[in-house]
Amino acid sequence: MQGEPLLKIENLVKHFNVRLGAFGERGATVHALDDVNFEIIEGETLSLVGESGCGKSTTGFTILNLHQATSGKVIYKGENIATFDDKAMRPLRRDLQIVFQDPYSTLNPRMTIGEAVGEPILFHKLCTKAELPDRINRLLTDVGLPPRFAGRYPHELSGGQRQRVAIARALACEPKFIVCDEAISALDVSIQAQIINLLLDLQEKYGLTYLFIAHDLAVVRHISDRVGVMYLGRLAELATREQLFANPLHPYTQALLSAVPEADPVLEKTRQRQVLQGDVPSPLNPPTGCRFHTRCPIAQEVCAQTIPEWRQIEPGHMVACHMVPGGLHA
Amino acid sequence: MATIPMTPAELDEPKTSLWRDAWYRLVRNKLAIFGLFVIIVLAFAAAFGPYLTPYDFLSQDLDARNAAPSWAHLFGTDDLGRDVFSRVIYGTRTAFVVAIVVTAIAVTIGVALGAMAGFFGGWLDRIIMWLTDVTMSVPNLLLVVVINASLKAPLAAWMEAQYMATLNPFFRETIWVDFILVFGSMALISWPPYARLVRAQVLSIRSRPYITAARALGLTTRIILMRYVVPNAVGPLIVSVSAGLGTAMVLESAFSFLGVGVNPPTPSWGNMISDGLRVWQHYPHLLAAPAAVLGLATVGFSFLGDGLNDALNPRGSK
Repeated sequence: MQGEPLLKIENLVKHFNVRLGAFGERGATVHALDDVNFEIIEGETLSLVGESGCGKSTTGFTILNLHQATSGKVIYKGENIATFDDKAMRPLRRDLQIVFQDPYSTLNPRMTIGEAVGEPILFHKLCTKAELPDRINRLLTDVGLPPRFAGRYPHELSGGQRQRVAIARALACEPKFIVCDEAISALDVSIQAQIINLLLDLQEKYGLTYLFIAHDLAVVRHISDRVGVMYLGRLAELATREQLFANPLHPYTQALLSAVPEADPVLEKTRQRQVLQGDVPSPLNPPTGCRFHTRCPIAQEVCAQTIPEWRQIEPGHMVACHMVPGGLHA
Repeated sequence: MATIPMTPAELDEPKTSLWRDAWYRLVRNKLAIFGLFVIIVLAFAAAFGPYLTPYDFLSQDLDARNAAPSWAHLFGTDDLGRDVFSRVIYGTRTAFVVAIVVTAIAVTIGVALGAMAGFFGGWLDRIIMWLTDVTMSVPNLLLVVVINASLKAPLAAWMEAQYMATLNPFFRETIWVDFILVFGSMALISWPPYARLVRAQVLSIRSRPYITAARALGLTTRIILMRYVVPNAVGPLIVSVSAGLGTAMVLESAFSFLGVGVNPPTPSWGNMISDGLRVWQHYPHLLAAPAAVLGLATVGFSFLGDGLNDALNPRGSK
């Protein structure tokens, strides 16, 4: 792996306390994120995939300190930003940005596109008031919108156009790192392709680093440098794109990949589908040991008892599974 | 990359603000404009009418009692020969003063308590919501009747005592007792809906994704409140205030009708209706005139409220 790590995530944990029962009489803990370790290399696109509710988005939110981490570290520029309060985070928000899933609900309906894009520029004092219209025009052009859209309101735009606005707003801060939280999931397939290409173009132009949270493996395969697979709040496997798609080690990854349809009808006929039994267990009461053992086709007794170690099997290929042989201890 | 589909040229006019947008939508709504027109006419009558009416609302012409409407007396005269038209116009002033003051007090209390409940949550929220529930659970008319019946006499006696002690003519004006009690008791029953509305608004806006997005941009809480929470919360409040003004007028009339509102001889639509009801078989104009104006005012405010509701909701159908 070449390049310097931009962010280091160490033993990150995020639990939500919730109240259950008709009168909120029972307290409970949602184990949204447990003991997650990985690095994000400058300039790369790291994708996180997994089923709904597996903690992908929570990872993104917690890295950006939009959720306060329960424990663990997020190291950025040598500092653990997971413990920063709002005020300490403020200057760093410029570098670390996010594009959300639903652009309509994340744009203020009472602000024009120009105001929405211009606000962070003025707030972070990135240019003078006189230069602002120019800056907004440039940003809108960058994301493929005509500058005259600056006077429009979000409800006057289509879904794809709104997502472009959301991207322009994130870019306005001149960030180094952008979390794309299911940024294309709410869009039509044809628009998805446009937005993906836009994100890739911008990455090249501005040297951006992406944490791409998605559940569409075809998209992930297209854009990622590295891919992390999450299951029920833990990382199951993390590898380069080539390693992961050619040689998936974790049984959960294998099951996920086997669910991707083949475009070729001949191959599709012979495709071995590995259908997992049962549902994802509740994160309120996650299984002991390996969280996947309740649905794992090759689970042994040890899987129900001990949490598997996060091991490096080959350079750059990490996995957490008792049944994967060999490997160097990380 | 594919090009962005271009929209029709007429959509490209620069739009200055969502408020102006809302105004355009409101102007296109004929019923709302009718309501606005009625309200403006009535407000004008309330402000300047008493100076323009041909008769004083108290001057009696005992030779022309219970006269039917004529050119000299547009709405006729009542049983003391007073000009009903002048009295209705003066009643408009009473209605507007009561409606505006009561709504202002109720909105102030409601917004303050509702915003606190929604923003801080926890036990404060529970106490405030408990208070609104308790207030709303008491029948409105009953509460006002009880307050007025039990407090009016002691308060008037207190005013009398103050006058005797200080000889300050201010204390002779028992009309103040009336107004304070009417304003106070009506505000007391009117604030809970505003508190609930504002609380719900603040709660729902606080958890909107665009608030998270604003936090992700690093904006301060103050900017988020001023630019994100408040502009998105005031729309429904404006609608509710417009409808609330009409409701307050009806309430005032209802209380005056029951004799717990504004006291005679100050004209109020309610006590005029009450007087007219006793003789309407013989002199229908005494009932018809104040009732019709009250109805018109109510319809005006409710049309305007509906129009504002449609205009301020940007997703509303055209």
